[in-house]
Amino acid sequence: MILEQLINGITLGSIYAIVALGFTLVFGVLGIINMAHGEIFMFGAFIGVIMTSTLGLPIWVAFLAAIIVTAILGYMLERFALRPLRGKQGVSHLAPLISTIGVSILLENVSHHLFGAGNHPFRNAFADISFQIGSITIYLVQILIFVISILLMMALSYWLSKTKAGKALRATAENLETASLLGVNTKKIIVLTVVIASAMGGIAGILVGMAFNSVNPQMGLSMGLKGLAIIILGGMGNVKGAMAGGLILGLSETLIVAYGDSGYRDAIAFIAIIIILMLRPQGLFGQKTTEAGR
Amino acid sequence: MLGEFINPYYLQVASFILINIILGLSIYVTLSSGQLSLGSAGFMGIGAYTSALLTINFDLPIIAGIIAGALVAGILGILIGIPSLRLQGVYLAIATLGFGEVIRVFFVNWESVTKGAVGISNIPHIGREIFRMLRDSGFDPGVLGLKNNQFVFLTVFILLLIVNIFVVWFLIRQNKSRVGRAFASIKMDEKAAEAMGINITYYKVLAFTQGAVLSGFAGALYAHVMAYISPADFAYHRAVEILIFAVFGGSEVIWGAIFGAAFMTTMPEVLRFISEYRYMIYGLVLIVMMAFRPQGIIDAQVLDWFKKRKLPKRRVDHGSSNQKHL
Repeated sequence: MILEQLINGITLGSIYAIVALGFTLVFGVLGIINMAHGEIFMFGAFIGVIMTSTLGLPIWVAFLAAIIVTAILGYMLERFALRPLRGKQGVSHLAPLISTIGVSILLENVSHHLFGAGNHPFRNAFADISFQIGSITIYLVQILIFVISILLMMALSYWLSKTKAGKALRATAENLETASLLGVNTKKIIVLTVVIASAMGGIAGILVGMAFNSVNPQMGLSMGLKGLAIIILGGMGNVKGAMAGGLILGLSETLIVAYGDSGYRDAIAFIAIIIILMLRPQGLFGQKTTEAGR
Repeated sequence: MLGEFINPYYLQVASFILINIILGLSIYVTLSSGQLSLGSAGFMGIGAYTSALLTINFDLPIIAGIIAGALVAGILGILIGIPSLRLQGVYLAIATLGFGEVIRVFFVNWESVTKGAVGISNIPHIGREIFRMLRDSGFDPGVLGLKNNQFVFLTVFILLLIVNIFVVWFLIRQNKSRVGRAFASIKMDEKAAEAMGINITYYKVLAFTQGAVLSGFAGALYAHVMAYISPADFAYHRAVEILIFAVFGGSEVIWGAIFGAAFMTTMPEVLRFISEYRYMIYGLVLIVMMAFRPQGIIDAQVLDWFKKRKLPKRRVDHGSSNQKHL
């Protein structure tokens, strides 16, 4: 029983980690909290529903389509909501936050009109395949989600630490002006960051659709808020912290549902944020800097 | 007669505008000290539930319920505000957003008291209670040429108008006082303000608490005007809606929040076809405003322009008062 709950928790946690990575990338490079990330994630999930349930296409096509659509959404987000604010004189640091809240409300209601308010089932061919190991049941979907998340995280880590574009991204995150002086095309890097973060949100959307077999326009909000909780838990702009934070939140939520009151599941994330912000504002894995908390 | 001009529907919309103005002002107060709080929907919910539960379960008079609602919200504001001081900018916004969500989840789950997602109905209505009191003492609205329900809505409107005038007057007075100038200097530059000897801890908590009290107060009024509340009334969307009032109208001057609340409440009522696309438009408004006019429609320059237009007519009595707050 406990083992099954742990497996559920890890599955959920790895999805949370991918969502949180999208937040972390954007925050690391731009210093902006992208409130629209949850809604981009939700769009990815809906693309998955349309591709698999409505059109009956295989799941890999759904992944591809979701990546393309969310990448385009990410580009538009950067182009219309973030770029106009950048480098403008006298814009407060709250302006991009408010602007992305605008995008999130817009996207949520657009999808409300496009897809309808209710729950959409997410059909896939292998939803019911499961293995029995001793007394534990493991679903193929859970393994798939876990493997995809791990692969994605490894690819991202490799890309960030080894490739030229990844190094340019880290340089930009470190200091935008210096990176730009040293010949990094920061404008391009910023677009790339937002696009990659959004595409990861799209992948996470399909994974959630597969895990819970239901997709609705409101899921973006709750997932977005949880992603925020995770990056605060793990330390802002900290890639490893986001992964660990996602797993911690996924596990604690599953355990609360299994052994406590399921109604309070959505509150855990926020109680955790508030406590963390009070006790350790730089996050569990963050380093204390002079700018901490800013 | 008076009765022919009074339409309960218009009065109802006007009452919502007045409640929303208080909410818009609650964001304005906190922003005037440079803090962005997204917890106003949560504080509003606290005020509404406190007042509704006290009046229903303990038969408290409405006015006591409303004051209690505002006070409880204020106390929570202090409790949240003091530790939140360590957080600046976006962190405060997220912590308060998280606070709002926690409050909503508690309203949904604490079913024995709050009746969960169904919400609380049969909350005593301000207008009807006053009407009943007056009727018991032998008053008949027919004297004024009003029907009963016209009179009920008219009392609500007048009451809210008085409350609004008082709140706006208080905030204008405060802006010209030591407190208001401390808020403004903290908003400009916190470190410089501290160096000038301003106790930023005190003033930031003060601003945050004032915002919480105003939200709780507006929430309590909302409960007794609607007579029905549910946790969904105080969700994230409400927080964004309240934020829009200040962002659209103008977050730097009091009149901005007032204009924003009035305009944003009237628009979906006047243009019915808009109300279906209401939140989409809200989203677009936020994006466009941030890109082109981050300070909102009404800012100090617009106000100056209005004053200049009026000035030639009444130069004598306005000249000296203008000098004071320049």
